[in-house]
Amino acid sequence: MTEKNDFLKFLKSSIAVAALIALTIAAIFIATPPDEKHLYQASLLKSELLRTVTSPRIIIVGGSNVAFGIDSELMEQELGIPVINDGLHVALGIAPLNEIKHYLRPGDIVIISLEYYNFTDEASFYGQPQYLADWVEFSPERIWYLHEPYKQMPSIFTMMLERKVNRQLNYYLYGFSYEAGRNFYSGDLFNEHGDFIGHLGENSNKQFEIADSVYPINLIEDAYVFLEDFNQFALSNGATVFYEAQAHRQTNCERTGKKHLDRFFNRLKTKTTIPLLTNLDQLCLPDDYFYDTPYHLNAAGRRIRTERLIDSLKIALGLE
Amino acid sequence: MLFNSFHFLIFFPVVTTLYFLLPHRFRWGLLLAASCYFYMAFIPKYILILFITITVDYFAGIGLEATQGRKKKWILLASILANVGMLGFFKYFNFANENIAAFANFIDWNYPIENLSIILPIGLSFHTFQSLSYTIEVYRGHQKAERHYGYLALYVLFYPQLVAGPIERPQNILHQLHEEHRFEYQRVTDGLKWMAWGMFKKVVIADRMALFVNPIYDSPTGHDGPALVFATLAFAIQIYCDFSGYSDIAFGSAQVMGIKLMKNFQHPYFAKSISEFWRRWHISLSTWFRDYVYIPLGGNRAGARRVILNLLITFLLSGLWHGANWTFAIWGGLHGLFVALNHFIEPRWIRLRESGFAKRFSPALDALSLLSTVGLVCFAWIFFRASTLSDAFYITTHLFSGWTTFISQFFRLTQEGIRAGFWGFVSGLFASLNSITELTRSEIALSVIALIFLLYIEIKQHRGDFLARFNLKQPAIRHVSYSLLIVIILALGTLYTGVEQAFIYFQF
Repeated sequence: MTEKNDFLKFLKSSIAVAALIALTIAAIFIATPPDEKHLYQASLLKSELLRTVTSPRIIIVGGSNVAFGIDSELMEQELGIPVINDGLHVALGIAPLNEIKHYLRPGDIVIISLEYYNFTDEASFYGQPQYLADWVEFSPERIWYLHEPYKQMPSIFTMMLERKVNRQLNYYLYGFSYEAGRNFYSGDLFNEHGDFIGHLGENSNKQFEIADSVYPINLIEDAYVFLEDFNQFALSNGATVFYEAQAHRQTNCERTGKKHLDRFFNRLKTKTTIPLLTNLDQLCLPDDYFYDTPYHLNAAGRRIRTERLIDSLKIALGLE
Repeated sequence: MLFNSFHFLIFFPVVTTLYFLLPHRFRWGLLLAASCYFYMAFIPKYILILFITITVDYFAGIGLEATQGRKKKWILLASILANVGMLGFFKYFNFANENIAAFANFIDWNYPIENLSIILPIGLSFHTFQSLSYTIEVYRGHQKAERHYGYLALYVLFYPQLVAGPIERPQNILHQLHEEHRFEYQRVTDGLKWMAWGMFKKVVIADRMALFVNPIYDSPTGHDGPALVFATLAFAIQIYCDFSGYSDIAFGSAQVMGIKLMKNFQHPYFAKSISEFWRRWHISLSTWFRDYVYIPLGGNRAGARRVILNLLITFLLSGLWHGANWTFAIWGGLHGLFVALNHFIEPRWIRLRESGFAKRFSPALDALSLLSTVGLVCFAWIFFRASTLSDAFYITTHLFSGWTTFISQFFRLTQEGIRAGFWGFVSGLFASLNSITELTRSEIALSVIALIFLLYIEIKQHRGDFLARFNLKQPAIRHVSYSLLIVIILALGTLYTGVEQAFIYFQF
């Protein structure tokens, strides 16, 4: 057989194998829709709010510290401006911020409240791929909101494929959706503003699960550059950006050392022009105000944080 | 660049296509440039280290061929010193310094030398040994000195085996690099099949086993015997699939281009003695140590004591070759001890096996030999995997703790399950496994399925040329099988961690 014939035979086989692979993968994608019980199911509601709520509006974005810790209804009543709680999960990093860019309109007020943890390394800041894969699965066009869409695309879709197979297998092995087994971490426990409300009735009965961990103290510099770019983008589109610190649990604050936390905010003040809404003397809240992690406030903590945020915003927006 | 990265997924087809498109006289240049690029994806400046040793060895090779007698020995010594010196500096300086500092502290001596802040160049031990092979073989007259600098550089840098072997001999590779290789359907597709199989072993099995191993070995003190034994067995599978997976990918990617590398693994866990294990495990390294250390030391031609000493020296060096840490030295020492014991026990064992009485129990004795070999190998893996000596000692002294609780819990959960039917029993099994690992059921189930598949293929391969027989099947069956294997790699590979999992042997 000549080299040319060998090559043509190889090409034919490769096309056959590639077609079979594509068919199998397509079948898996079609047969395994996103899990309805997944926490990220709520991301569809949040995207819908970003699309439909009229401006001017307040958009609060961050991880689950925002989802668990903000009472949007109270804010809306007090400030008279529609509020969208766009907080979902720390592991998504700044991907939701990139999504907001797409929907930003003149008059919008964006309050960024990322978790301190987001600033500790690049994967935490730009989002963890396995979680981004779940987030994109609910709405594939979100691939464009990732930090490096073209570079990340192959790995995100491969992870999505793997997670679909695992999910289906878990369904057979548990007899129900794995996400449903995570109890209250469910996508259907959000109110119409995007606030998570599944924990409000349980009154801090999971505090024993909270680890008194120390925060890492090495922070990445790229984060400040990104935030300032975001701020400039918002300003050029007639929107305003503020930064609000997540509520920190007292024990974790003490173990980490407040000076490290202050250092973070001082860097934020010097490296960006984003106004800080938080009074740094009130950065840490008593342990009793937390639900099941050092990021999740319970009902009482949520109220305190929201009231403080309302007060700060009234001053910042000149509403008093 | 890692084989299990998207970067390589682009790199490999581009380089291979260009390789077959280019006239033969330009191919060495392409492969050398591609290999440099492959290496420089890690830490670019370290390529200079390789070129320094390549240059030294290039002139040493020519010098060795042109001279005789004492001068020849000096040239060889200079080449060895240059290669080993580089390895010693990057790999062993800090280790030696730490030990001297610890000793100095012990005798209250104010030792002033600080550790160096250097990162070990990736695959340094591999390419150093490959370079050494070249000059030693030229010295011995088994290989002609390479006059073309580019081909010698390619011999050391050839990307499929650059960072984790197999550690090749110049007699096997250099002439193949000079030869012209045509595009041949069977050879190319066989190479791709080896690559896919290696990738399966790496991302589906090895990286999955890491999910069991890492949490326990990273912090062993909180765990009892069942978890420690379980993690050690999982590590035995992980390291085999990780390293042999890498070797299969290397073998396959070189074969696509018409270059046949040596096989580095021959189903080592089917070995029935430690000596046989070393004839099947990391063959390129064990034959390197045999040819360049053990035999020059006298091999097994001397008396019993000398043989034991030679084995211990060879295996201790092999242990330290893996890493500058006492855990690796102990791992090597243990294997030296096992092989030395085996050296004296094996002839008696064979005589016993040949007796009429033992022949009747042959399968049982085979199983006993196999299990005891695997047991010893796994025990030694504890020292290989443990981060520190204290972790290793904790694990070895707690292997038998906590079994009563685990077994009673296992029986309780499975019995409760049996009453609820088959799925109840399965559920009980998962629940008892969950007591030693926090993985989800799908992760446990996928691991079991993948291991059964691995075992099936390994047995098939062990019994004969599996690939040649598989190639005789209908094209439709083959195409569906390849497609499924690739989908399995994509869907069941533990890629979701988001971090490309480096091969374990890259660190050496």
